[in-house]
Parts: sequence; C-alpha cells; structure tokens
Amino acid sequence: MNTLPENLKKPLTNLLLSVADDKLMLGHRNSDWTGLAPILEEDIAFSSLAQDEIAHAQTLYELISSLTGKSADETAYGRSADEYRCATIVELPDDYNWAVAIARRFFCDHFDLLRLKRLSKSSYKPLADLASRLHAEEKVHVQHVDAWMVRLGHGNDDSKQRLQDALDTIGPYAPMLFEQVDGEAELVEAGIYPQLENEMFIIWCDDLQQVAQQSGLNLTLAAPDADAKGGRRGLHSEHFAPLLDEMCEVYRLEPGAAW
Amino acid sequence: MSGSSNVGMHIDHNVKEDPEKIAEFEAKIANGTLLEADDWMPQAYRTGMLKMAEHHANSEIIGALPEGEWITRAPSLLRKLALTAKVQDEIGHGQMLYRVSQDLGKSRDLMLRDLITGKTKYHNVFNYPAPTWGDITMIQWLIDGAAILNQKSLADGAYGPYVRTMRRINMEEAFHFKSGEDMVLTLMTGTPMQRQMGQDAFDRWWYPSLMFFGPPDKPNCESLPPMRWRMKTVSNDNLRQRFINRFAPAALDLGLKIHVVEKDENGLVISKKIDPNLKLDESTGNWSFTEPDWEEFYRVIRGNGPCNKQRLGLRRFSYEQGRWVRQAIRQGSTAMPPAA
Repeated sequence: MNTLPENLKKPLTNLLLSVADDKLMLGHRNSDWTGLAPILEEDIAFSSLAQDEIAHAQTLYELISSLTGKSADETAYGRSADEYRCATIVELPDDYNWAVAIARRFFCDHFDLLRLKRLSKSSYKPLADLASRLHAEEKVHVQHVDAWMVRLGHGNDDSKQRLQDALDTIGPYAPMLFEQVDGEAELVEAGIYPQLENEMFIIWCDDLQQVAQQSGLNLTLAAPDADAKGGRRGLHSEHFAPLLDEMCEVYRLEPGAAW
Repeated sequence: MSGSSNVGMHIDHNVKEDPEKIAEFEAKIANGTLLEADDWMPQAYRTGMLKMAEHHANSEIIGALPEGEWITRAPSLLRKLALTAKVQDEIGHGQMLYRVSQDLGKSRDLMLRDLITGKTKYHNVFNYPAPTWGDITMIQWLIDGAAILNQKSLADGAYGPYVRTMRRINMEEAFHFKSGEDMVLTLMTGTPMQRQMGQDAFDRWWYPSLMFFGPPDKPNCESLPPMRWRMKTVSNDNLRQRFINRFAPAALDLGLKIHVVEKDENGLVISKKIDPNLKLDESTGNWSFTEPDWEEFYRVIRGNGPCNKQRLGLRRFSYEQGRWVRQAIRQGSTAMPPAA
C-alpha cells in the first residue's frame, strides 16, 4: 500500500521515531569519537558508521515528515525529551571507553539489522523501499562490529577482560531495545511491521551468542520485562536531558533560523 | 635517547654529500622529475621532507580537535553530517601524511609520541579557541581557504609521495571550502544575532589566518634549500598577499568589517578598530593591510598560546585511552573477522 489508514498514522509515527531516534543518538554518541579513536584507520571507519546512522535518521525523519508535516530538523532538534522514542542504551555516555563503544554497537547493530529486515517487508511501500536500502548498509555495520568483538576477545587478556566488563555493564540495558511503542501491535497486525519467521528476540539472542562464543566471551540476556516503561514510551535515563541540551545548544539559540 | 627513537630525525651537518650526486639530484628537480622515497637524496632533504610531512600530519590530527568539539552541537542534521565528514577527512589526511612520513623512516607510534610530548610541533593556528558556531564557520571558510592556497603550492613540489598526497587532499579541501562558503553565507544573511556571531568569530580568526602562512620571508628565501629543492614553491609573503587579495574583498561583500584586534591570554578580543591600512592598490591589484603581531605568533609557537595545553592534552588523552586497543591488536591471536 502507498497510502496509510488514518488510524495507523500515529502508531507508525511512534515506530519510525523509535528507529530514527535510536539511530540519531547512537550516531551522535559515536560521532564524538571522530578524531579521538584508538587507531587512525579505525577513526575513519567508525566515523563513517556514525555518519551512516545520522544519515539513516535523516531519511527516516523525512518519511515521518510526510506523516506529521514537521521538517526533519524540527523533528530531530525541536522536541522535548519525553517526545523522543529512543532506548536507554543509545543514550548512555561511553566515556571514550572503546570496549563500551564496541559493546553498545554490538547489541544495537544486531537489533537494528533485524528491525530493518522486518520493515523492509512492510506492506507500506515507502517504508519497505527505504528500509531495504538501510538494511543493506546495516549489514556492513554488523560485520564491522563483529570483527571487533573477535579481535578484542582474542587480543590479549586485558582486552578480553575489558570487553567482557563492557558487555556486563551495557548488556542489561539491551533488552529494552525491544520495548514496544504505543500501537505497535496494530502495526504488526496490519503488516506494516511484520514478524520474522521466528520471535525477533530469539533470533537476536542467537546472533549475539554466536559471535560471543567465537570471541570467547560470556553473554547473559534476559527477556525484556513486558511491563517495564522506558524510552520507547518517553521515559528516559538521566543521561538523556544533558545529551539533548548539548545537541540542541546552537539550534535553540535562534529556533527556526537557518544555520 | 635510544638510537631507534632518533630514526630519521638526526641531521649531521658534517656529512659531506657527493657533489656529483647533488648535481644530478638538482638537475632532476630542475627538469620536473618527481623524487621517490627510494631515490638518492641529500640527507638534509630527506630529513627536511620528513619534518615537513610529519608537521603536516600532526597539524591534520590536531586540527581535527577544535572542529571535532562542535560535531555534537552542530545545529542541523545536514551540518552535523557535513562536519563529521569534514573532521573525518582531516584524520584521513593525517593518516596519508603519516604514511608518507613512515616511508621516510620514522614509525607512526614514535611520531604520535613526539607530538604529545611536545618534541614535534603542529600548525600554530590550531592553538586558538573556537567558542561559538561562528568560529567553526570561519575556520571552514578562512582557514580551509588558506590551507588550499598553501597546499596547491605544495602540490607543485618535487617529492612525489607528498605531491600526490597534496593533490588528493586538495580535492577534498575544495569540498570543505564550499561547505565553509555555504556556512558563512548562511550566517551572514541570517538574523542580527547570527550576523553578530559571524563578525565576532571573524575578528578572532582574521589575524590567525594571516599568520597561517608563516612569518615574513628572509630576503634570500628563494635560494635557500626549501625553495631551491622545491619542498616549498611559493614564499610565505606571496601566499599571504594572494590570500588577502581574495578574502578581504569577499569579507567586505558579506558585510563583515575587517578589524585590527587586541586579544587577552585566552585568545578573546578585548578591543578592536577598523584596519586603517586596508585598501586596494588599483595599480597592482594588491590589498595593503596591517601586519600581524609577530611577537604573538612566536609566543604561541613556543607553547604559550590560548589552547596549546588543551589541544595537546586531548591528543594525549586519546593516545592513552587507545593504548590497550593497539596493544591487543599487536598481540592478537587472530586478526580475522568471523565468517559471514
């Protein structure tokens, strides 16, 4: 379908915001490494990943524009904190700890790949077309982060321990990526956000466990608590408001002005 | 110092070069043949090229820092993407130039260590503060504009690996400059607050841009090794004049005022007046101007500029934070990515 039933506009806006906001905040956090990564060659690669995420967010905000009439920049920069739909894991600072940066991408990229796969099969054609394109790029992200998992896992004792610590610290936040936005069930039912051949959480766990095993690392993943309220419904961590203040510092000086 | 830490950096002034080889070397340069890393060259040339390429590489990765600090605050998605890509380019330039330097005989790790311990230098211009988005705009317009003029002249040099790197860098810098032009135009046609932000930043960056090309030339600069051997092809004063001829009228067209300024120790302007010497000489096409404060220039080079400590501190932080990662990779039992 090319046009959307009126009653699904709000749920779809919520869902698209969750995808776009995850990507913007992850890209924002990762772009902060540009110029400071451990190796020059990786600095360049990691910056490309950050740019991909921000560019993905931009195209998604443009699709959201077609539903809300607000511009992409206004959507990205002009909301109050509780109107964002990102998960806590992308909000956390990494304090320039490379193990934390990699661990976070590991959980998020694998999740995003599956989410985009679902969206690429959406019955809403503009979304399916966009998601197919993003899915192809996301595959590269997954390859890159998996290579780092193996590299650090098999680097030396120190790197293995640091990555294990990072997985243990970040891991508990990861299942909340699966928190549902309001109206998600209706989108699933309408084929706009179709299910995969198996439960997405189970596929995700299998994918992660396979790489963890290859890397000699331990991973414990608990199923998300269905009642827990988090970022997908506007409840954010204490790290989010400062992040948003920094991101919007210049934008808010003269709202509506061109920069 | 251990012997290895001096690789490629030691100039022995007692070395007597073979006059026949020197003549052959200078003839090659005169007929425009590009020199390659494994060609014979006087020791002073190899050492000089290494110093130059290393200084340039250092400048790229330090130059990434003032702009990098604004990636997280860029005011639109487009600017955020463009600024991230731009800073990424600078790191890429640094990577290419460290490779050129490595081929001349110094290891990358040693170069990074010499940078953070202050043994080697980087471009002075990055020791000035960038307190607003206006500064990021002026850096991309003025400093990148100055860098293009300088690097275009360096692309006419004689050392092949460096020349090829300059050609590639210049293509990318042209994009940065276009982005800078777009930013300055947007700012200077914006709201009164935005235009004031632009003027204030211009006041901070105009003189550092003029100093960008280095101190006034010695009278015999064209016969000294750097120019005789085409490590440099245009003198500092000549490049500075080209810059002013292009940017002074462009700034005035944008509604900017060109001030002579007095700054405090933090690099912030405390007083300013319109440059009384700024005017176009119709007969030569050259703009005259008030000379930069060269005492300030030398003070900043000696490490006493507004941001020297901050820039080197951040570079050191990055080096130290990433150390375990580099060690893990060197010691890794596998460097292979997992199967797809």
